[in-house]
Parts: sequence; structure tokens; C-alpha cells
Amino acid sequence: MSDTAESPTETQKEETQPPSDDSTTNDEKKKIDVLLKAVGDTPIMKTKKWAVDRGRTVQSLSQFISRFLKLDANEQLFIYVNQSFAPSPDQEVGVLFDCFGSDGKLVLHYCKSQAWG
Amino acid sequence: MSGCALNEKEFFSCCQLLLQQSEHLRDGWSWEAVQGSEEGYLRKTVLRSVLADCYDAQKQKETASDSVSPVSAHPIQELQQQERTQPVVATRFHSDGIIGNDGDEDDAVCVLSEGSSHVLQYEYHILYSCSYSAPVLYFRAFTLEGRSLTLEDVWSSVHPNFRHCLQNSPLTAITQQEHPLLGQPFFMLHPCRTEEFMRPVLQEAQEQPRPVNYVLLWLSVVGPVVGLDVPLKYCTQLHPSSLQRSASDLMSSTVETGVRRFARKTCK
Repeated sequence: MSDTAESPTETQKEETQPPSDDSTTNDEKKKIDVLLKAVGDTPIMKTKKWAVDRGRTVQSLSQFISRFLKLDANEQLFIYVNQSFAPSPDQEVGVLFDCFGSDGKLVLHYCKSQAWG
Repeated sequence: MSGCALNEKEFFSCCQLLLQQSEHLRDGWSWEAVQGSEEGYLRKTVLRSVLADCYDAQKQKETASDSVSPVSAHPIQELQQQERTQPVVATRFHSDGIIGNDGDEDDAVCVLSEGSSHVLQYEYHILYSCSYSAPVLYFRAFTLEGRSLTLEDVWSSVHPNFRHCLQNSPLTAITQQEHPLLGQPFFMLHPCRTEEFMRPVLQEAQEQPRPVNYVLLWLSVVGPVVGLDVPLKYCTQLHPSSLQRSASDLMSSTVETGVRRFARKTCK
């Protein structure tokens, strides 16, 4: 688990998560392991593996990645599961993990696009 | 310009697959054929209970959060109270919370009190655009009395996740258009960038190869933009670990044909 970084931090609304340095805490905090993969021209994140709260929404994760990658205001980030479907922004990642997780992690592809106008 | 475009035959196939899944999931899509030909469109009607709140565009930037849910098909969602800088423009209806016609207002509109709720009927159509070789989403919304909503009202159904980007190009993203087949006014999500955001994902899937329903993938992306929920089950049905093996087998065999067609195309 040495690659697993601390949980992504949320906006100023949520308190900063302490680093999760122990795998046994994952179950207690109900986090799941997410592997983020870039699609197309989208920049690749230096840290690809994240421990994410099950209750975190796709939208929240999308906002996090957008901030992490310092995307422009007019760039939209899309997240895909199973490389074939964009889950609803309100979907919880825990549910996605249950449906599509394998080898103990959920693989999500992300792609930036100036998709509108 | 080559790309991951969709021809009309493929559009039809993808729609039929989506339709099969929809029937299985009771998601409410139907196929409206044109004059008994293969030409047609997918159609779905959704009843939605919403709070009567007209969002001011600028307010959304700082207040969009996970806890704020836009309109949905569920019972009334709690929306953050927005300070209204302009009168709410909405259609008249007979339900609790209505203030009634203001004498200065147009006869067709009235000012609604914050916190009042009403039921709207949203209608979504998926058509094929020859110009863009892509599916296009048309939609309109009515009150139960049959009054159509304005574009301003419709903005409130746009998911906060997309509102910011869409507002940067409001004139081109959601526009009012005449429905190509019905000749009635609809709102349309402009398809000019569809191929652009579809291409990277399709290319990635083709390298696997992984079966992808173009229309379903596209719909899962654009649906939430206009308040249309596309249930996750559309995707879990296709997942190997799904318990619904019969549906999964059916989808795999028929979608593979579509995958081979996509694989033959050159995606640059």
C-alpha cells in the first residue's frame, strides 16, 4: 500500500483528512481504493492511487481532480467507469466500487474536454 | 475529418440495444418511428417534483456542493435558498404556495414563493444528427397544465457539476430549436462537441477491446447535464460480475458487432 496517498482533500467545507498510512484503518473509515487513469490528452496525475471515502460522490471526486490538474474554468472533466459509462455526478464511489471494483480497487478513467459550445 | 463518428445505422442499433435494456430496467424509453422506416428517435417522459426557485447564474459558482441536488424524479429535494435578484419567471399552476398573478406581470407568468413545490413533466428525445454524425438530445418541460417552461427555468435542472462550464457558453450549449421531426420548439444540447468528448473514451475502449454502446455512453455523459438520470444498472448489466447473466450474454453478443464496426474505423 506504499503507493496509496492520503485521501483527497475536499473544499474548505470539509476538514482536511489525516494521512491514511495504515491499511487497517481503511475498513474503519469505510474508504475504498481508487485508481485514476487519464484518457486522451488529459494530464496524468502524479498520484494515481487514492483512498476515498465510500460516500464521496463522483462530482466531488471530479472537482478534486479538476483542482489537482488545475484545469481551466471552461474545461469540463468527465469520469468514466468500466470505460463505457459516465456515472451520475451524485453517484457514490462506494457503490461504484461494489459494482466494478476488482483486485480490491476501483479503476476510474477521467477525461477533460471543452465539451460545451 | 476522420473521427469516432456514428452513422445512422449504428445509431439505430445502439438505440435498440438501449431500448432493450430500458425495458428490462423499466426506465421508460420508447422508440418513435417515422413513417414505418428505421428513422426515428428515442423518447422518455419524466415527472419531476421541484422547488420553485429560479437560480441566478452567478450564485451557482460558490454554492454548488454535494449536498445540493437539482431537480430529480424523487420527492422534493431540499435546495439551498438563493437570494433572488430578479423575479422568478415561471408558469402558472394550481398548487400550494402560489402567490397568484401580479397585476404587472404577463398573464402567463406569476411570482412563486420560495419553498413552494410543483410537478413538472420533462420530455427527452434522442435524435440522430446527420450534420454532426452524432446523437442529439432534445428536451422540453411543461407544468401539468401544459404550459411550457422557459430556458431560464430549465437552467435549474442543470446539474451543478456542469452549470459553471455551461454558463460560459450559454448561447451555444443549450438552445431553443425546432424539433426536426415534430416541428415544435424544444431545447437542444448542442452536438458540435460531441465527437470531441466521445473520441478519447471510444479510442481507449477500442484498444482493449471493450464493447461500448455509443448512444448509452453519450447519454450517460449528457443526461445529468439536463437533469436526466441514467441509472448505473445500464452499465452493471454488461459487467462480467453482474448476476444478470442472461442480459449480459445478450448484450455482449449484440454489442460486439457494433464494436467490430467501430474498430474498423480509423480514429485519429
